Amino acid sequence: MTVSVMVVDDHPLWRDGVARDLAERGFEVVATAADAGSAMRIARAVRPDVVLMDLNLGELSGVDATAMITGELPGTRVLVLSASGEHDDVLQAVKAGASGYLVKSASAEELVDAVNRTAVGDAVFTAGLAGLVLGEYRRMAATPDEEDRPQLTERETEVLRLVAKGLTARQIATRLVISHRTVENHVQSTLRKLQLHNRVELARYAIEHGLDAEPEAQT
Amino acid sequence: MHIKSDDEGPSVLEDPVAHLWRGTVALRVVTFLFALGNAVIQSSGYARPWLAWVVVGVMAAWSVFTIQAYSRESGRLPWIVVADLVVACGLMATSVLIMTPMQLLANVPLITTIWACGPAVAAGALAGRYAGAAAGGLIGLSTYLIRGAMTIDLVRDVVLLAGAGFVVGMASSTARRSAVRLAQALRTEAATAERERLARSIHDGVLQVLARVRKRGLELGGEAAELAELAGEQEVALRSLVAASPVESTVDGDADLRPALQLLATQKVQVSTPGTQVMLPAVVALELTSVVREMLSNVDKHAGVDAKAWVLLEDLGEEVVLSIRDDGPGIPEGRIDSAEAEGRMGIAKSIRGRVALLGGTLELQTGPGEGTEWEVRVFRVGGVR
Repeated sequence: MTVSVMVVDDHPLWRDGVARDLAERGFEVVATAADAGSAMRIARAVRPDVVLMDLNLGELSGVDATAMITGELPGTRVLVLSASGEHDDVLQAVKAGASGYLVKSASAEELVDAVNRTAVGDAVFTAGLAGLVLGEYRRMAATPDEEDRPQLTERETEVLRLVAKGLTARQIATRLVISHRTVENHVQSTLRKLQLHNRVELARYAIEHGLDAEPEAQT
Repeated sequence: MHIKSDDEGPSVLEDPVAHLWRGTVALRVVTFLFALGNAVIQSSGYARPWLAWVVVGVMAAWSVFTIQAYSRESGRLPWIVVADLVVACGLMATSVLIMTPMQLLANVPLITTIWACGPAVAAGALAGRYAGAAAGGLIGLSTYLIRGAMTIDLVRDVVLLAGAGFVVGMASSTARRSAVRLAQALRTEAATAERERLARSIHDGVLQVLARVRKRGLELGGEAAELAELAGEQEVALRSLVAASPVESTVDGDADLRPALQLLATQKVQVSTPGTQVMLPAVVALELTSVVREMLSNVDKHAGVDAKAWVLLEDLGEEVVLSIRDDGPGIPEGRIDSAEAEGRMGIAKSIRGRVALLGGTLELQTGPGEGTEWEVRVFRVGGVR
């Protein structure tokens, strides 16, 4: 089955370049968008398998678009492609529901591999993202008033640290004597807990501030 | 561009010398009560007690009016302060009619007593030290004209009045100058933030182009690939610069370790850090950065040209952990001794010494084909502090 992809980027050079690269390698590029607003509209209409999302999009950020797309379209996964790798943004996007993050300078092979893995539901972790996620869990652990904060198991911490030190999933599997699949599951679970916690927090915030009415469709 | 205008911001919302005006108002109330008490005690000896009570009544009314005026920013006007001075001196002059000549000569307090010092303080708050001193001097001069003789007590009063006006005026000028500086600082801060935002979006555009050039160039190969390499190097350099937000150090000399580490990133070196600050004493942060730099240059020398390296910074609260790993050939077991003899481990010794000085620990993991992994741990409590 061909994987359908949508490319969201405000930079035409990049947007068209990536779209062409992906099309050449057998992906079906179903749409492109230059800003967060149209990205949300178009994603609703075409429901792609994977959205490649730039974060630096102007007024509405890629983080907002990521939250809306992953919240509303269960079949669509978001892979963040960022040029600057600005920490806070990447972390926010991942908490909002993105399944992973890649720097734009990644090679075409790395990109293809990442899109394929995103399409089957795997998390795409770079060493940099693993460092950020580890830091986020530790920040939450050190913040006493954050209720029901998620925690990493010892194994998950171990796996994340190895990812952050640049080991591939296969190398980690060998070192910890577990299967490749188990490594993937651990990595995914660290993301899922973070995203679930983020949703619970948002819902609680909404209830506390009287915003818990049916969310209006944003356009 | 959005820059805070003058009428925004906490510093300029309130008159910077509002506290001095509140003091003036409080002084008005206290000195009036004093004057009232004085009139009660002295009235039986006055030549015209009825006039004394009329004057006290006028003082009460004038006090109420000025208190209301000085309590609002719109009421702190030059003409009100001038009128205040005229009224105070005028009421003071009625003492000649109220008191007997004996009382005037015997230094019995004038009918206004210390209530008359109000305008000197108000003039200082309004227009600075010279206005304050001048108003104080004028009130003192009126006292002299009324008593008709210069005595040591009178000189003392003049000095005190002029001095009080002068000091309040100085405080007022200083407060105004600080308020102006604060407003300037706030504007500069807003402008800097805006410039940073603009720089970020420009950097983002440049990064996009560099990334694209690198990618496409590598695919094309040949000369284009060489250009791609150059673009790639600049891309990584710019990205680390963007990631390394300005170094912030706190008053007590702590610094964030992340920006310095992020500047060590290259195409072959990946630096991973938490999203939040990792604060350490500035000296420790500096020393750790130079330890990491030394380890990375060691990787360059010994792990082969294609070796990549990863730096991971973790903040565990009580301790800070730095891991530096390379994917070079590693050091075969049993060869560490000979490596040490060759001088290859000499650098490890120097690193170990530096980490020990920071009160930290150093661990080395290596094996054939496994690369080399260093782990530096520095304790926050009981360590270097």
